[in-house]
Amino acid sequence: MIRTAQIGLVDLIENLVRVRTLELIVNSLSLSVAVCLTAVTIGTVQAWLVYRSDISYKKFFRLVAIVPLAFPSYVLAYAWISVSSAVSGFLGSWLVLSISTAPYVFLAVTAALRRHNSASEEVARTLGRSQFSVAKSITWPAIRPAALGSGLLVALYTLSDFGAVSLMRFDTFTRAIYNAYRASFDRNTAAALALILIALTLVLIYLENRTRISHASVAIDQFRVLKTKLGPWKGVAQLGLSIWFILGVAIPIASIFYWTVIGQSRANFGEISRAFVNTLGYGIAGGVLVAFFGLAIAILVVRYPGKYSGRVEQTILITHALPGVVVALSFVFLVNQSIPILYQTSALVLMTYLALFLPNAVTVLKVPIAQVPIGIEEVARTLGSNPIQTLRRVVIPAAAPGILSAVAFVGLTVIKELPATLILRPTGIETLATRLWSATSVNAFSAAAPYALLLILIAGIPALLVNREIRSVQNQSNLEVDTSSAKLDISEVK
Amino acid sequence: MSEKLKLSGVSKSFGQTSVLQDVSFSVTDGTLLTILGTSGGGKTTLLRLIAGFDTVDSGSIVMNGREVSSDSMSLPPEKRNVGFVPQESALFPHLSVSKNISYGLSHLNSAAQDTKVSELLELIGMGDYRNSLPETLSGGQRQRVAIARALAPNPDVVLLDEPFAALDAQLRSKLREDVRAILRSANATAILVTHDQEEALSIADKVAILRDGKVAQIGSPRSIYSQPVDVDLAKFLGDAVVIPGIVKAGKISTQLGDLIPNVAQPEGTAGHVAIRPENLYLQPDPKGLATVTGRQFFGHDALVEVRTAAGTVKARTSGPISPEVGMPVTVWVRGSVNFYPIS
Repeated sequence: MIRTAQIGLVDLIENLVRVRTLELIVNSLSLSVAVCLTAVTIGTVQAWLVYRSDISYKKFFRLVAIVPLAFPSYVLAYAWISVSSAVSGFLGSWLVLSISTAPYVFLAVTAALRRHNSASEEVARTLGRSQFSVAKSITWPAIRPAALGSGLLVALYTLSDFGAVSLMRFDTFTRAIYNAYRASFDRNTAAALALILIALTLVLIYLENRTRISHASVAIDQFRVLKTKLGPWKGVAQLGLSIWFILGVAIPIASIFYWTVIGQSRANFGEISRAFVNTLGYGIAGGVLVAFFGLAIAILVVRYPGKYSGRVEQTILITHALPGVVVALSFVFLVNQSIPILYQTSALVLMTYLALFLPNAVTVLKVPIAQVPIGIEEVARTLGSNPIQTLRRVVIPAAAPGILSAVAFVGLTVIKELPATLILRPTGIETLATRLWSATSVNAFSAAAPYALLLILIAGIPALLVNREIRSVQNQSNLEVDTSSAKLDISEVK
Repeated sequence: MSEKLKLSGVSKSFGQTSVLQDVSFSVTDGTLLTILGTSGGGKTTLLRLIAGFDTVDSGSIVMNGREVSSDSMSLPPEKRNVGFVPQESALFPHLSVSKNISYGLSHLNSAAQDTKVSELLELIGMGDYRNSLPETLSGGQRQRVAIARALAPNPDVVLLDEPFAALDAQLRSKLREDVRAILRSANATAILVTHDQEEALSIADKVAILRDGKVAQIGSPRSIYSQPVDVDLAKFLGDAVVIPGIVKAGKISTQLGDLIPNVAQPEGTAGHVAIRPENLYLQPDPKGLATVTGRQFFGHDALVEVRTAAGTVKARTSGPISPEVGMPVTVWVRGSVNFYPIS
């Protein structure tokens, strides 16, 4: 934005009204809409079938629905491009991003279905409505906020995705911004395009905020879950789920293994291990750095709620939604203006990670902190510890397991990061992600394979596991968090 | 009065587990039947069969003279004209109170819907909550709305599945009376299942006791309480002192004296008598053979533990004048007793 302001209004308008800009807008929006519709449809149907119908192999299909979370979008893109060159452009991006984002919808809708009391559907039946009419008037309104909200997040994700669209060679804003910056050193164009992208993103964030009106579920301990008998449709449902399994999981994994085996003899182990070490270094340094600041903010937000917490929450959503390409470029501009010595250093890469992932870290770290009962802190104070000592000796040790898994989670997210690393890394430093990206860009599929495999093994699957653990902890802790904040209120009244 | 609902020989199993066996009863127009049973005893299954959420294995269900369920056919819930009030009210969370109530009235025009909704809001005493969302209501209010919603389409039978279970004790007894009054003034035929004896006995016209998937006894609350068909039911329906006895000269000879049976018994039969604590009378008596060993004071009455020749028994006494611990007393049995021969 600073950059844009410097160009001057005339140039800015010139930059914006080019035909090419219009094309980019159409491309980005049509892809976002297509991916959003596909992901919402598939994620919602998957969630309903797995949670509310009588299909077979439920556990398997539940796993299938969330496994794509383990594949960064560019790994999936690589896996599909290397199957057939026909998978590229709009269609390829659509397929790959739909696979990547459907799990978000699945998780959100499943959560909504869990909160929904299916007894209300039975009541509706006794009031004279058919099964279809009940689905429309009762079930859909219950999951609509989750489906639409996650749909907008999917659109945001699509808009900010760089890895998949760039490998699929489909010109959206992120790819155009990167190319403008990299190829022509045309930073003004890059900045102008980034501005439009930010505007689009803000519109989506605004819409997402508006969908957050959901009817607080009437609190009940346990619901009886109605399982709809699909009858003749069961076969169709099983077939549909199986096709999605083949597209989203089986073919990508098979493709990665195929190319790994093909390229085995020519694999450059020196290069691979250097990239591996660099990746690990960034992951650990990034994880620790981000978690350190995240912890400080989380403690502030949880233990001293008030004027900051609302603002922090808001910032979390906005930074989180800004495309990595844009954030990375803004750091480039900023550093070149003020501290050029930082340009193309690992320190700058880490600072960018901090900006990109601090929101995730705060969200995840709030849980273990909130779980430490305020009572034990108060006891520590009466036993002579000052607030800092109490944090160091009581709160942090008590929350240690949660803090460690947050560090792991952030570290794994850092390892998968592509655009910022690609733009900011010091010359000569390569990570698994950048190697995979450059090899795929020149169709060197067998050379790219080991990086794809390693990325899934060391970042994807562990991230999936840590994420699930965090989710289950969050679910369990909701009650405890509530009671601890209630205690806080009482102690303040006293 | 006509039969609104009739179950004949209804049985239901889930896999290997038999849940209901040969259940038969009928409900008269405008009356409330409570079904009392322990949890997991098949009560909810029974309601779900009547509502049409599950199908019977054998037997038939006839509603308003029309067969709705048998081993060969089952009308779907929307064709049965039943009202259903689940345990947790299950109001439609996205609809206002009035929209919840009018949900089953889509066949009426909006003016007629409005009239009906106002009528029902009046009936449940929630006229001011027309536009409230369920999340803003208290537990008791939600249940009232759920009942209004069920009553709106004038169902043949209203089914209530433990409707007070999720509420606290004080609210429960208040709402119980209200619900009874609402159902009465709507002249609704209703079945309410519960595991709470007091609840079952206090609001019912008729009580059916469901035990191990069978109807163990059915009758008026009074007859169920005062004449349980066996010793187990006597104990299930409230505190009961059970002591052995033998029939001698038309009376039952026990260690608490010679007692008069409800029904004449053949000479020499051995069995047990069951006596309600309120039928025991404790007379302070320095020469009494029984001693008071404990006392639970409830205010309006007290439960006094007495050590007698027949073992320790519990007697209910008037609160303010109950005997002190350690006091010698004589135990009298008031009225006739239920005698259960050993088979």
